[in-house]
Amino acid sequence: MSGRPEVVLTMPARPEGVGVVRQALAGMADALDFEASVLADMKMAVTEACTNVVVHAYDSDSGMLEVEMRAGDEGLTIVVRDHGSGIQPRPARSEPPALGLGLPLIAALSDAFELRGSAGRGTEVRMTFAYTRDADPADANPVTGSVGIDGRWDPDAPSHGAPAGG
Amino acid sequence: MLDDTAGDVVVVVVEGEHDIYTAPTLRERLDEALDRGGGIVVDLTAATFVDSSVLGALLDARRRALEGKQGFVVCVGETVEPGVQRILDITGLVPVLPVLRRRDEAIAAARTNGANT
Repeated sequence: MSGRPEVVLTMPARPEGVGVVRQALAGMADALDFEASVLADMKMAVTEACTNVVVHAYDSDSGMLEVEMRAGDEGLTIVVRDHGSGIQPRPARSEPPALGLGLPLIAALSDAFELRGSAGRGTEVRMTFAYTRDADPADANPVTGSVGIDGRWDPDAPSHGAPAGG
Repeated sequence: MLDDTAGDVVVVVVEGEHDIYTAPTLRERLDEALDRGGGIVVDLTAATFVDSSVLGALLDARRRALEGKQGFVVCVGETVEPGVQRILDITGLVPVLPVLRRRDEAIAAARTNGANT
């Protein structure tokens, strides 16, 4: 194995843990000399993935949030995992309901993104951020839609989209 | 988070990083400010990071303000942190919330935009 940094975090899936993950990520990105703009995108995408776990994965406070950060050849790969109920329709545990913007933001902010999960076996979000970017990923995967009348994100609503990265 | 009043407009000041952990507190502050009945400015100038939980709180407060014919404006300052600017840009919410740069502009807009809707 090379001397590339690697971080594995396991913690209770509670709101106060999300900021801890961001701190660890900032330290890792600093060691790898990421640009500030990419670090901002990483923090946002990882926050949204962890928030999904905190809000949606478990019925009770007993579940765990797992985060792995591994530096590869092309970029930093971050895996956010839970062992909850998997991808299925499910009311959010907290009130008020989430906006529903998490996955669209992750897709727009990461250079590569993969979602794995099945009922009863948990969910895994895998994001990669390239060391050097040729293009803004938000151009390829823009967040579509706008806020709907019910206050949740409506992907079909007319977008007021400002150009990404502008 | 601090509150500051400018006549009939309440300024809710948001500093540092905010996410699902602090969004409930922000919601409470926004509800308290809205209960006073005047316009609302949310000043994110000193915020370094906001996520979709915070956007949800801002959008709910905006909806309440519109219903109550109260002004609602967000300001971000002249030099915006990437952790704030990026999410506003890619969600297209700058014209929706709406978002202005300077606090004095935002206060002036909040004083009038509720009455105009």
